Amino acid sequence: MALAPEDWLRAKEIFVETADLPANERPTRLDQLCGCNETLRAEVESLLASDATSSGFMAVPAGKVPRRLLAGSEWEGHRLGAYEIAGELGRGGLGVVYLAERADEQFHKRVAIKLIKRGLDTDAIQQRFRREREILASLEHPNIARLLDAGTTQDGLSYFVMEYVQGEIITEYCATHQLDIQQRLTLFRTVCDAVSYAHTHLVIHRDLKPSNILVNANGEPKLLDFGIAKLLGDEAELRDQTVVEQRPLTPEYASPEQLHGGAITTASDVYALGVVLHELLTGEKPKRGAHGDFVRASAVAANSKSLRGDLDNIVAKALQEEPKRRYSSARQLADEIERYQRGLPVLARGDAFSYRAAKFIRRHRFAVAATLLVGLSLVAGLIATEREARLAQREKQRTQRVNSFLAETLADAAPALNRRLHHGQPNSLSEVLDSASKRLDGNEFANEPEVRADLERVIGGAYAADGKAARADQHLQRWIAMAERLYPANHPKRILAAADRAGMLFIQGKLTESEAAFRNVIPKLRAECVKNQVEPEDYAEALNNFAYLRRTQGDSAEAERLFRQSLSVKTVTQAPFHHQLATTRSTLALTLQDEGKFAEALSTAREAVREKEQLDSNADETAFALTVLGGLLTENGEYAAADAALRRAEGMLRDLVAPTSLWLGDNLRNQAASFYAQGRYEDALRTSREASTIYQQNFGSHYDNYPTALDIEGLSLARTGNVAEGEKLLRDALILRETTLPHEHFWVALAQGALGEFLTLQKRYGEAEPLLVASYEGLRHSQGADNPRTKLAEQRLVEFSNETGRAVVAGKLTNLGHH
Amino acid sequence: MISPSAQENVTQLLLAGTPQPEQLAAIVYDELRAIARRYLERERAGHTLQATALVHEAYVRLVDETRVSWQNRAHFLGVAAQVMRRVLVDYARAHRSLKRGGTAETLVLEDQMELAGEESIDLVALDDALRDLAAIDPRQSQIVELRFFGGLTVAETAHVLDISPRTIKREWRVARAWLRREIFGEPHGACA
Repeated sequence: MALAPEDWLRAKEIFVETADLPANERPTRLDQLCGCNETLRAEVESLLASDATSSGFMAVPAGKVPRRLLAGSEWEGHRLGAYEIAGELGRGGLGVVYLAERADEQFHKRVAIKLIKRGLDTDAIQQRFRREREILASLEHPNIARLLDAGTTQDGLSYFVMEYVQGEIITEYCATHQLDIQQRLTLFRTVCDAVSYAHTHLVIHRDLKPSNILVNANGEPKLLDFGIAKLLGDEAELRDQTVVEQRPLTPEYASPEQLHGGAITTASDVYALGVVLHELLTGEKPKRGAHGDFVRASAVAANSKSLRGDLDNIVAKALQEEPKRRYSSARQLADEIERYQRGLPVLARGDAFSYRAAKFIRRHRFAVAATLLVGLSLVAGLIATEREARLAQREKQRTQRVNSFLAETLADAAPALNRRLHHGQPNSLSEVLDSASKRLDGNEFANEPEVRADLERVIGGAYAADGKAARADQHLQRWIAMAERLYPANHPKRILAAADRAGMLFIQGKLTESEAAFRNVIPKLRAECVKNQVEPEDYAEALNNFAYLRRTQGDSAEAERLFRQSLSVKTVTQAPFHHQLATTRSTLALTLQDEGKFAEALSTAREAVREKEQLDSNADETAFALTVLGGLLTENGEYAAADAALRRAEGMLRDLVAPTSLWLGDNLRNQAASFYAQGRYEDALRTSREASTIYQQNFGSHYDNYPTALDIEGLSLARTGNVAEGEKLLRDALILRETTLPHEHFWVALAQGALGEFLTLQKRYGEAEPLLVASYEGLRHSQGADNPRTKLAEQRLVEFSNETGRAVVAGKLTNLGHH
Repeated sequence: MISPSAQENVTQLLLAGTPQPEQLAAIVYDELRAIARRYLERERAGHTLQATALVHEAYVRLVDETRVSWQNRAHFLGVAAQVMRRVLVDYARAHRSLKRGGTAETLVLEDQMELAGEESIDLVALDDALRDLAAIDPRQSQIVELRFFGGLTVAETAHVLDISPRTIKREWRVARAWLRREIFGEPHGACA
C-alpha cells in the first residue's frame, strides 16, 4: 500500500480513534476523519477489518530473549512497599539496583531500588546501609540522586528507593554528544561541585567513577550511589570491623591509599575525580605505576592530544600519590578548572616554564584587544599551540622559535616575577619585557629576521598591553619596518603589519590617517582571512579597532556596523577566543548608546553581562561588561543597581594583574558619574580623578573617555569649592572635544552641557545660556528627545530658567514650558 | 573459545553510543552459530537447544557486563530480539527446504516446538512482511521484533524503547493488523 508518510501517520491515528467504536458509529466518524481522501480511508478500513480478525495473531511470542538482560532476577514483579520492581538496572559491589514503579499507578513514577545482595546481608552491611539512609536523606543537591525511601523486605533485606536517573554514563555522554574540551570541563566542574557539597556534609563518596555519574537529557550530571559513603571520622571503626577486605571499590578509580588500606579522606575522592577527568579528556584511564600511582600521560605516550600544559598539570596534581599533594578538596579542583577556563594562572603549574608569566601576557592581550588600543593579537597566538597545526612547516618552526625565545626569557625572569605576582605587584611584566627587548637588540636573530620581526610584534603588543605606549611604539615600528622589508607587497604578514600601523596611528591620535589606513587594509585582511592566511581573530580585532576609531570620530552608525561585523566573525570562529564576544558586545552597547538607541544599548549591555556570567570566562571581561552596564544604568537613573554593578566590577578589576587597565578607568569614571548624579561630590571627585589619571598615563588625552572624566572631575571640583581648577578642566574637556570632533557631535554637546552647568552654578548666566542651548539642541538632534542624555540637558535648562527667572530662549524650547 | 576481540568488539560497539544494530546482530549471530555447533559436536546428535539459552550465552560471552550500562544492555535486548528473529526464521526456512528434501545445517531448536497460537504463523512470510513494515514504520517493526521475537511484555518493550506503554499498545495493534493483512490478505466483507 503506497501511502505517503504523512498519510500513514494519519491512518494510524484514525485507526486508533475508530478501532473501538461500535460498528454503527464508525462510518460517520470515518467520514469526518478521512474527508475525501479515499486512499487514506481505504487503508484505514482495511486495517480495521484485519484488526477485527486478528485476535489470536501473534498472541504468543515466537521467541524469548534472555530475561536477565532486562530483569532476570527473582525480584522481578515483586513489590517492595509501594513499588513494583520492573527490571534490573545494574549490579554493584553491594547490591543489585532495580528499576521500579510506584504500584498505585496514580502517577507514573519510576525509581531505582537498591537491594542488598543475598549472601552479603551481614549485620555490618545492614548497619552501613542504615547509615547510608541517613546520610543520603541529608544530602539535597540537584546533582546528587535523591534518596526517596528505605525499608526492609520480609526476608530482612534492606532496600533503598532512590531517584531514578535516566541518563548516559558521563564518558559516553561526552562521546555521543561530541562535547568539546570546554564543555567537558564545565560538566566536570558541576560534578566536582556535587562532590564538594557532599564533602561539606561530611560524606565521602569513595567509589566515584563514570558509571556512577550519569548525565540526563538536559545535560545535567547526577551522582549516583553513595553506596559506600561513610561519615567522616569513623574510619577506625570500619577497620576494627575488619571489613576492609570487603570494602567495595573499583580498582581503576581507587586512590593508592584505598588500594593499600590507608586512611580514606576527601582527597581519595579528589583522586577518583582526577581519573574521571583524565578519562573525559583523553578517553583513557591514566596509567598506573608500580605503586598504584599515576604515570603522566605525557611520559607514557605523546599522543594524548588534549592533555598537555595546564590540563596535564591539573590532572597530575589531582592524581598525586600522596593525598596531601593533591587538591585539598573537590571545590579546589573545580576552582582550578575554572581558573584554567578563564585563562588565569592555575595552582598546578608546570615546573620548567614560567607559566604565570605566559598566562599574564596572554591575558593582557585580551585587555588590549578589548580596550582596542592596538590590534596586536599575536601574543596569544604564538603561545597557543593549538593553532600550530594549521601553519605551514616553515612558519611552524618560526613560531616555535618565537615561543621558545619567550619561554626562555620568561623563565629567566620567573623567580622575580612569581614573587611579585604573589605580592600583588603585577607590573613586573615590564621587567620581563625589558629583558626580552634587550635580548632582541643583540645579535641573536641576525640570521633569522623573520623570527625577530614576529618577536618585535609580540613584545610591542605586550608593552602596549602593559600601558607602555612609547616602548610599544618603538617595537611595533620596528616590526612594521621589518615586515615591509622582508615580505612582498601582498604577503599576509605585510597586511598584518599594515593593520597594526593603522591601529598605531589611532593611538597616536592621527585619526584621519588611521581611518585611511584601516579602509585600505580591512578588505585585504578579510581576503586573507578567508584564505586562512590570517587568523580570524586578527581580522576581528582590526574590525574592532576600526569600529572604535569610527566611534571616536563620531560616526556611530558605521561603528555599529563594524562592531557587529566583528561580532559575527567572532561568533563563527570557534572556541579559542569566543570569550571576547561579550567585550565586543559591550562596546557595541556603548555605540548604540551613542546613536541614541538607549533601550537597545541597555538590553545589549545586559546581554553581554549575561553572556559573561553564563560562559566561563575572564573576570576582567565580566568586569568590563558590568562597567558598561553600570554606566547605562546610571544614565537611566538606576543608581543603586548601577553602583552595585560598578562596585562589583571594580573589585574584580582591582584583583587583576593589570590594575592600571583602562577598564578600571572606565569603571571609576562611571562610578563618578553615578556619585555626581546622587550629589556625592567628594566621592565623585575621588573616582573621576583616579580615572582621568589612569587615562592620561595609559593612553593620553585623546582617549575618548578622557574628556568625560574631566567633566565630572571639573564639576565635582566646583561643587566642592575648587572653582578655578574645575573650570580649567571643563574648558580643557570642551577644547579636546571640539578639536577632534565635528561640531554637531554629541560628545561636544556633552562637554558644552557640563561647562554650562558649571557656569550656571557660578551665576555666569550670559556665558552659560548659549552652551546649554547648544548642548540641548545637539543632543536632541543626535540622541532623540527621550534619551536620558537629552533629558539631562533639558533639566539643566530648566534649572537655568528657575535660577534666572527668565523663560529660556524663545522658540526652540517650547516644550520646557510645563516645568 | 570466544575470541577476546569479539567480546571487545561487541562491548565497544555498545559503548560507542551509536551502535549499529545490524553490525552487532551479525557478530552475535555468528557467535551463536559457533556456540551451537560446539554444543552439537559435544552432545549426541539430535540434541536440541534452547534458543533463549543460546542467545543468553552469546550475550554473556560477548559483552563485558561490568562495562556496559543498563541503557546499553537494553540496547542489546533489541539486538538479541533481532538475532532471535533470525535464528527462528532461518530455522523455519531450513525446515521448509528439509521438507522439500534438502539438507541444511541449522540449529535445532526446542523453542519452536512450544510455538502455539490460534493461528499458526509462517515465520518466513512474517519475516518478509516485517521487512516491508520496517520500510513504512521502522518503530513498529522494532516493537514487533521485541514483542514477538523477543517475548517482551508491553511494559518491557516500553522501557527498552523508552516510549510510553500506551503508545506501544497502540502501535502493536496497528502493526498486528497490518502484518496480518499482508500475510493473509484482506478478509472478506470488509468493515464499515
